[in-house]
Amino acid sequence: MKGRYGRFGGQYVSEMLMPALQELEEAYEKIVPDPGFKKEYQRLLKDYAGRPTPMYHAERLSQEVGCRVYLKREDLVCGGSHKLNNTLGQALLAKRMGKRRVITETAAGQHGLATIMAAKVCGLDAEIFMGVKDIKRQASNVKKMKLLGAQITPVEIGSGVLKDAVSDTLREWASCSQDTLYLMGSTVGPHPFPALVGEFQSVIGREARSQFQEREGGLPDAVIAAGSGGSNALGAFRAFLDEDDVRLYFVEGGGETLGAGNSAAAFQLGSPGVIHGAVMQVLQDMNGQIMPSRTRSAGLNYPARGPEISHLCEIGRVKACYAFDGEVFEAVETMCRTEGLVPALETAHAVAYVLNHRVEFSGDEAIIINYSGRGDKDMEAIMRHVYGS
Amino acid sequence: MDLEETLLGLRRRREGALMPHVYYGDPDAHFSHRLIETLAGSGADLIEFGIPFSDPTADGPTFQAACERALRNGTTPSSCITGMKELSKDLGVPFIVTTYYNIPYVAGVGAFLREIKAAGAQGIIVPNLPIEEAGPLLEEGERQGIHVILLVAPTTTEERLRKIAEMASGFIYVMNFEGVTGARDSLRDSTLRLVRRVRRHTGIPVLAGFGISRREQAEALVSAGADGVIAGSVFTKIYEARLDDPTEALPEVAEMVRELKLGCVKKQRPSPSV
Repeated sequence: MKGRYGRFGGQYVSEMLMPALQELEEAYEKIVPDPGFKKEYQRLLKDYAGRPTPMYHAERLSQEVGCRVYLKREDLVCGGSHKLNNTLGQALLAKRMGKRRVITETAAGQHGLATIMAAKVCGLDAEIFMGVKDIKRQASNVKKMKLLGAQITPVEIGSGVLKDAVSDTLREWASCSQDTLYLMGSTVGPHPFPALVGEFQSVIGREARSQFQEREGGLPDAVIAAGSGGSNALGAFRAFLDEDDVRLYFVEGGGETLGAGNSAAAFQLGSPGVIHGAVMQVLQDMNGQIMPSRTRSAGLNYPARGPEISHLCEIGRVKACYAFDGEVFEAVETMCRTEGLVPALETAHAVAYVLNHRVEFSGDEAIIINYSGRGDKDMEAIMRHVYGS
Repeated sequence: MDLEETLLGLRRRREGALMPHVYYGDPDAHFSHRLIETLAGSGADLIEFGIPFSDPTADGPTFQAACERALRNGTTPSSCITGMKELSKDLGVPFIVTTYYNIPYVAGVGAFLREIKAAGAQGIIVPNLPIEEAGPLLEEGERQGIHVILLVAPTTTEERLRKIAEMASGFIYVMNFEGVTGARDSLRDSTLRLVRRVRRHTGIPVLAGFGISRREQAEALVSAGADGVIAGSVFTKIYEARLDDPTEALPEVAEMVRELKLGCVKKQRPSPSV
């Protein structure tokens, strides 16, 4: 079956969207492997996005953790997060498919920002759906997106967060798929999106693997990444999936407590369900109604985990972990204190997990944290936490 | 009344069917009973009985809001099924259940179909289940004697249309517009063309929906060869304006049913050549 990862994945969309998905599948198979496409994509990754990103041996953080910690510096990708790796690929694909416009949704605003940047580079229009709550929480990214010419459409349905924005973007796509591509931001949704996004993000792990090899020789003992849909995590993990000795950790948003309505930890509290076009691990009640997720990190505030990461966690190849909001803010402070870096709240989840589970990483080990983004967008929340008010 | 007999009887009389679509439990179960009784009593030939889902991505804002209201007051799939059992016993019209795939997926597809069948449903529509993923539902539907109603869209290719026509049972649901459900004013020519396209592939009844809010639209669809029309948001729009006492809106709902039904019978349908 197409687009299946164990029992996860598939194409659960309206008949209305099937021709659009099939068109995208064909484009994915024909255009993405094309040498001309590859060359142009590589050029943009290098000259526009700033790849390869460095891998930094964070010595002072390593002392706190008690083993050698390397940060894969995706915060240095232009725009401040890994998101541009994917949007450049898909915008280029949209252009080659003859589309004139892309639509998408965003929560933390990082994907929205990366989308309008990539759209500009490729000469496309962009409309970005964003929950009303997220618009408020991520004001600085909203300003940047508007400045770059994105049309921001507020989403008021449901709880006004990412889940609702995805629903509205799917609706919009059903009515305009002929000239518009849904530029999916994470490894979620119907096939071929999870495969496509995973492929564009896998540059992270390929670089990290060879950088680690150069620095340390051999393979890292563990790779740790935070996520919800799973794009930065899969991007980092894919290069190591076949290496059984490399432990992989996926850290989701624990929220305040592991209780219904207080968390985004779908691997702890959810079950397989059909939402937004695929079977995914999702927060839901016993009747199959999707439950809202909750975490201070807008980018992790999505109730579903993408099909591939759902499968990898189910079969035990990846360990499903979580970090609570309180631990995350402590991790931000630790990063500031030790390395002079302000991480995005999403990224801080991965750091928090390592700091709070030092026993899992012994002294002679070397690990890679996928340092997925910088915290400029979260300054207000971080300042409130540090200084109160 | 049996679904196939109902549709064949209408076809013999050269009359279009009207299938109103509502979400049960909006704003509460009591009103839903009155509403569905009104629909059936005013000329509806079938009832599309919606079981609310939290994220109805193939529906527009009107039905999204209806689902949210229903879920907020505690509507569950089993309260819907209980309600449908009472209604289908009392009213003589066939009931077709509409819900999103996660509801049967979580309940177990076989168990879910057994339950709705026992409550009087004769068919099921799952708007987020294209034929590529419909295998388990089609298999269970056949085993349990529930028609799985398949959908086609203006974007559906000839090749897909042929496959869908082969697997179809009960009737085929033609989606008028590219997009989602919601009352609209005009009906594009592409819809009328689509009805004719489907006709060329199959003799199975064809019902057309999405955006139906006026008598002339029903008329145009039926005279283009549709066996009937499906109208949904238009009824919800009438009562959502009076949510404090939605029963006040029932006379207007009844009037709308009569209007649309008039559109289904006014112009003579083309003679049933298939």
